[in-house]
Amino acid sequence: MSLLALHNINKTFGPLKALTDLSFEVGHSEVVGLLGDNGAGKSTTVNLLSGIHRPNSGYISVDGQRHDFTCRRDSAEAGIETIYQNTALVDCLSISRNIFLGRELTTRFGFLDLKQMRDIAMQVLESAVHISGIESPDKLVGDLSGGQKQAVAIARAVFFKRRVLLLDEPTSALSVRETEALLHQVLKLKAQGVSSVLVTHNLYHAYQVCDRFVIMSHGTKVFDVAKADTTIEELTQHVVLT
Amino acid sequence: MTEMIDHRAAWPRRTTAQNLHALLTMPAGAILLVFVAVQIGCIAAGLLFPDDFRYLSSANMGIMMRSVPVLGCLALGAGVLMIAGEFDLSIGSVYTFTAIVMAMLVGNGVDAFLAAPAGLLIGAAIGLLNGALTLRFNLPSFIVTLGGLLFWRGAVLLLNGAVQVRFDPNPVFNALFSGTLLGINAAFIWFVGLCLVFWAMLHRHRFGNHVFATGGNRSAATAIGVNTNAIKLMAFAIAGFMAAFAGILATTRVGSVQPGQGAGLELQAIAACVIGGLSLRGGRGSILGVFLGVMLIFTITDVLLLMRAPGFYLDMFIATLIVVASIFNHGLDRRGAAA
Repeated sequence: MSLLALHNINKTFGPLKALTDLSFEVGHSEVVGLLGDNGAGKSTTVNLLSGIHRPNSGYISVDGQRHDFTCRRDSAEAGIETIYQNTALVDCLSISRNIFLGRELTTRFGFLDLKQMRDIAMQVLESAVHISGIESPDKLVGDLSGGQKQAVAIARAVFFKRRVLLLDEPTSALSVRETEALLHQVLKLKAQGVSSVLVTHNLYHAYQVCDRFVIMSHGTKVFDVAKADTTIEELTQHVVLT
Repeated sequence: MTEMIDHRAAWPRRTTAQNLHALLTMPAGAILLVFVAVQIGCIAAGLLFPDDFRYLSSANMGIMMRSVPVLGCLALGAGVLMIAGEFDLSIGSVYTFTAIVMAMLVGNGVDAFLAAPAGLLIGAAIGLLNGALTLRFNLPSFIVTLGGLLFWRGAVLLLNGAVQVRFDPNPVFNALFSGTLLGINAAFIWFVGLCLVFWAMLHRHRFGNHVFATGGNRSAATAIGVNTNAIKLMAFAIAGFMAAFAGILATTRVGSVQPGQGAGLELQAIAACVIGGLSLRGGRGSILGVFLGVMLIFTITDVLLLMRAPGFYLDMFIATLIVVASIFNHGLDRRGAAA
């Protein structure tokens, strides 16, 4: 049984048909590359999965159970974490406060357990998410680079035991070194049983880490293939020519 | 960027310059530095010229301690709201309105210990109303509370006309809010105590974390599951509540309420917050900053009065302070933590 699946999803915005009969699956411990040119419907798909939009017809299932996401929280509770380029972090708060935002560790009367939050943040950043340059969880998120911010968002997802990471164009704002670190991180999480959906139009990054590719064009799926059965040339052709 | 690299290389031993840089980038570091410098200057001048510059005289200290708390309490409430990303221009009018209601209740035989909580509740309720209007209709709080400023100012005249109301509470109430303890003015003790409460609430409590998140990046906070509307409503209520509390302090001290007394106080409160390093866009600031901002305004006012400077210098000095402080803070706007 697949971990996450979309079933015959249609989505329209007024007269615009954004998605037409879209179905695909994400398995356990699998990295799926969601590819396609601009306007293929990738972002709409991400928004559906993270609870921002709702489908006009069709549905999403997690572990074979139908889930209707009405807000981002629903999707997070089902185990899905979306990591945007401008990811949902508050610049004026420290790293540890960001990781625990909305789910603070508190002592009695709601006072923050700063020490424990700090220790766990450091531990998660060091072990689960190893991206160099973050030396203290007290640093403000506003002072971090794009890659480091994503590392913090991933750390949050890891700590709260998310099962699927949706990475929306994660590499577009990153340096080469940060991109390598991020892709490495995706593989490491896969080894720990966390699946990822890598939404990108950079085929080379996707080819490095993905187990399967779903190519979209004009709001629907045009190609779905395992990495073993394809080449980067074939993928390029499908993205460009369909 | 080079600064950051240097900073790391020299870790953990830091030079004086780096320590200074770290202090200046603290949310209230710069204002703390200015405040300490002004105090040292004043104390030195007070010791050198005890007859001409009576800064250290007990009379002068007493005046300072009596005048700080009213604006201080207003600024604490306005500050929390500013960090949450909203304004309240109506606090000056609310301050007068709740004080008038309280004084009238006491004048009609109600015990002050019942009338004062009634005033506080009215203040919080007006804050909630401002918040509800702002959030429900998605309006700038500037406009909504500008309406509030005029409305409640008018309500004061409607309720009581343009005459002052005497406030004659029982002696216990008087002692509690305008007496002295160990030579320190009770209102000042209230103010310091409230600063500590606000510090704990804003910097050490879950609520404060959500306030900073709401003001700093509302969409991110919402996405993570913070109820930003509830946080903003709470902040509005706190601003109204603190305005009413300032009203209690002022009224008990003077023994009467003037219908026009709150005019302009809302702007002074916002000025104190700005001087203390709070960002007008929200998400940045600290309670220490608000405290120092208020103290600095009064210290400078006091110094000018002691030097017998004409009144208009006060406004010009405060004005300069506000602008210089915001220029400085603007450069650091991305910094400033909840810690």
